[in-house]
Amino acid sequence: MSKSIEQMWKDGFVNETQLTAPKINDLYNRKSQNIVDKLQRMFAINIKAIIGGSLVALVMFSLIGAPFLGVYICLLLVPLVLIAKRELGKSYQLSKGLSSYDYIINFNDWLQHSIAVYAGYYKYFYPLLFIGMAVQAVVSDAGGKIIGLMMDVWPTEFLLWGVPYYLLLIIVGLILIVARFSDALYRLDLNIIYGRQFKKLEELIADMQELRK
Amino acid sequence: MGSDFYLQYILPHAGIIIKICRAYTNSQADFEDYYQEVCLQIWRSKDNFNQQCQWSTWIYRITLNVCLTYLKQSKNGDKHIVSDSLPDEVIDDSKAFANDEINLLYNAIKHLSETDRAVILLYLEEKTYEEIADIIGSNSNNIGVRITRIKSRLTKFINQVD
Repeated sequence: MSKSIEQMWKDGFVNETQLTAPKINDLYNRKSQNIVDKLQRMFAINIKAIIGGSLVALVMFSLIGAPFLGVYICLLLVPLVLIAKRELGKSYQLSKGLSSYDYIINFNDWLQHSIAVYAGYYKYFYPLLFIGMAVQAVVSDAGGKIIGLMMDVWPTEFLLWGVPYYLLLIIVGLILIVARFSDALYRLDLNIIYGRQFKKLEELIADMQELRK
Repeated sequence: MGSDFYLQYILPHAGIIIKICRAYTNSQADFEDYYQEVCLQIWRSKDNFNQQCQWSTWIYRITLNVCLTYLKQSKNGDKHIVSDSLPDEVIDDSKAFANDEINLLYNAIKHLSETDRAVILLYLEEKTYEEIADIIGSNSNNIGVRITRIKSRLTKFINQVD
């Protein structure tokens, strides 16, 4: 190659009018494929889905004779709605007109903070949801019959609210397992969906930071 | 987006957008998607333009930031933020420009990291080290060193292909 890359560039674009812009089709109604916009849309949909889901849970559990569980799940979901709304509000402050480094860092900060906030809540949400379902199972007619059968097979005098101690130990054990792994479960879920993007983002930031040193 | 805005504020700078988007995409379809996304984001961000920099600089920033954070749905349903490291066999827009040398140069540029692509494109557009540092958000002292390294890699790649 005899030419420098600068000369190749100059010669190649000596007549810029040859650069043909693609046709713009229905841009106003186009959904953005930018990750910030995409996450904003997801947060907005998430809020509506949580509200809808909690109402469905309320009606459904009322119909099957467990209205308290429906109310309980609704109450558990209220903080999730508030968190999603707050995080969505923060995302609107991100500007794409910043320098690339500032933009990526701002975006990453917001992303990490949002993940941490969600993970913090899910740490309590999963165990509390499990407790609610376990209590409902124990106090239900079917649960009462199962406890009766268990008492026939493994009779004991140690009961708490009519529940044999070994069943309580199993429930407590399961709650502890759920609590222990709820954060990991949430992050595993995130990694399956977004792992590749997160890795790419990390590499991009590392590269840009090297350039700033 | 109003067509007036596109014609008045974006189309005169379409060359910048095309040159950058081409460096981050591997097919005509991807390129058109990126181009439209950039136009959409310029339009959405227009109210944030504070005139502390030139409109063309603003367009460089938006275009690069969009290219760095674009979500692309691949065939297997997997999604990624930016164009992946380019496997040699998937370059299917090797005739994107009329000039063969430019196509060869772009082929080489696509083998660079996302950051290096941004640096070299701005350099080739005759931006000063300070302007490049300002747009990318880096230290201008390192830009010169990085450009020398990138040019050496590009030259090596082009010579191998040539």
